[in-house]
Amino acid sequence: MSWIETHIPAWVFIAFIAHGAILGTVAYLILLERKIAAWTQDRLGPNRVGPFGLLQPIADGLKMLLKEDYRPADADPRLFTLAPALMMFVMILSIAVLPWGGTKQTTRTIQVAGTIDSATAVAEQNTPFGATLIGTPIVQTSGEDESAKSTITYTYRYAFQIANLNIGVLYIVAILSISVYGVVVGGWASNNKYSFLGGLRATANMISYEVPLGLSILTIVVMYGSLNLATIVEAQSHYWFGVIPAWNIFTQPLAFFLFLTCIHAEANRAPFDIAEAEQELVGGYHTEYSAMRFGLFFLSEYAGMITTSAVCVALFFGGWHLPGLGGNVDPAHPSVTTSLVVCVLRALVFFVKTLIIIGIFMWVRWSLPRFRFDQIMNLAWRAMIPMALVMLLVTATTLYLFGPHDEAFRATGLITWKMAVALLIANAVMLVIIAAGAALLPAAPPTNRRVRVLGSRFDQAPAAVPATA
Amino acid sequence: MKDSDVIVLDEPRLSVADQFYLPQVLVGLGTTMKHMFKVLSGTDIVIQYPEERREDMPVEQGGMLLRTYRGVHRLNKDEEGRVKCVACFMCSTACPARCIHIEAEESPWQDREKYPAKFDIDELRCIYCGMCEEACPVDAIELTSMYDIVGLTRQEMIFDKEKLLRIFDQTVEDEPM
Repeated sequence: MSWIETHIPAWVFIAFIAHGAILGTVAYLILLERKIAAWTQDRLGPNRVGPFGLLQPIADGLKMLLKEDYRPADADPRLFTLAPALMMFVMILSIAVLPWGGTKQTTRTIQVAGTIDSATAVAEQNTPFGATLIGTPIVQTSGEDESAKSTITYTYRYAFQIANLNIGVLYIVAILSISVYGVVVGGWASNNKYSFLGGLRATANMISYEVPLGLSILTIVVMYGSLNLATIVEAQSHYWFGVIPAWNIFTQPLAFFLFLTCIHAEANRAPFDIAEAEQELVGGYHTEYSAMRFGLFFLSEYAGMITTSAVCVALFFGGWHLPGLGGNVDPAHPSVTTSLVVCVLRALVFFVKTLIIIGIFMWVRWSLPRFRFDQIMNLAWRAMIPMALVMLLVTATTLYLFGPHDEAFRATGLITWKMAVALLIANAVMLVIIAAGAALLPAAPPTNRRVRVLGSRFDQAPAAVPATA
Repeated sequence: MKDSDVIVLDEPRLSVADQFYLPQVLVGLGTTMKHMFKVLSGTDIVIQYPEERREDMPVEQGGMLLRTYRGVHRLNKDEEGRVKCVACFMCSTACPARCIHIEAEESPWQDREKYPAKFDIDELRCIYCGMCEEACPVDAIELTSMYDIVGLTRQEMIFDKEKLLRIFDQTVEDEPM
């Protein structure tokens, strides 16, 4: 047992549990989605399979597995199979950097026969891969010569997450952009015009909204000077005036709204679901998919929601932070704790916060009608990208103006209450500027433009007749 | 179609608040939240149909009054168990949906001249208006309160004489003639 604890890194276990939990939750998210859909439409939703319909996901999964895995004759067989796998692969990868439970500190005592030269070397041998030793190990030697025994007490820390990347945020943004390939490849491989159009629309949608997504993340990154999600969460886990948690939602509400809108668009869900607009494109990029291949597309949509919502929680809602879940080692590093229970509780808190954001996703989906394609593009390029740019500028300016005068900020890099008030005022001013700027913007191009399409009635030139041999 | 036939409509100009979408989005979210609360708190009643039926509930709470309901037809029988119909064609004449098809033959009984050899009602064409019931001079055709009839084919939903007489047997206890 002790060998497992000292030689197998904790992230192995965390990875198993986190992936199991998330992939299990994904199935139940579909049930939740159907329930919320039903409630908003004055129905009760699935309630026949098991109590409250709780076995419905299992029945659905069985159905997916047992259905005929149909592939159109002219579809590209390799790409057709690759696309859903790619989607799922990307979604599973992106879970890796979520900071589930801060940092765990462990103090361990081992006994070694004989005297030892370097206590640090022995301690390092008995530290799991990925954990860092803290301080110097304490050695106590008892007995003489042959019967000598050394007791080494050492302390190490490891991040309670799968991978503690320094570029965590960047990694997530990068990985999520790969998921657009799943959609495009799926749409292309189906050899179906609706699938193809769905893929095209999804590409335009996701690429457009990645820009404001990245920019709104950047405002947070600028505030803390770090791309590490764990660092960003830890920086939020202190209080203003001892009661208000220093979450970014209170300092950057506009960035939060932008981010929330962008992750809705990234998930290709209503009101941004032009990629699978049933009324126009049958099923969009997954028109030709059935059985578990479709199932993977479906599940990855929900897995993607979990990831993006978790990033939203980490960036704006303090991640695992909740009063009472602070660390017990160092007041300057509230994420460090010696209790495994606290770490698990933090992971649960993180997950519950994520589920609340997902609830908002579903609530929005069943409330709002779908945007037209030109409205989506207008919203991204004429509204959200300029807004995000202005926001980044204002945040950077505020930090530049007030940062050097704020002793606590300079010393710790934490956002003090003075800073928070400054940022809030900056947000309010920005809102006014944007509202005024919206009136000054030149009008959008007319939506009823006549586009020349070869052979259409708007095409004045006669259609070219292919030369016959 | 000529160019002059095309009517080009411009979008209405949005106000500044509407251009931000958010105020209207919040209004919409509020509407759905209201509905969610209504269902979850039980203010809106959802009837679990096959187990719970509207006829079992009080009318004031959204129940259904079966006495006045017009459902599937039946052909009534007289005391001797013979079909009451005299094949006068009044019902099929009155029928606005033309769903009643009768073939009359000479009656084997002394009390009437004709009787229906065939009596088919297309329950899919029928609009359940009750005109046949009104027109019948001998009260032979009546609408029952059965409303949950199903069939796998259209052919199955054309009820013949035997079927209509069977419905009489099924319903006569609850709904006497």
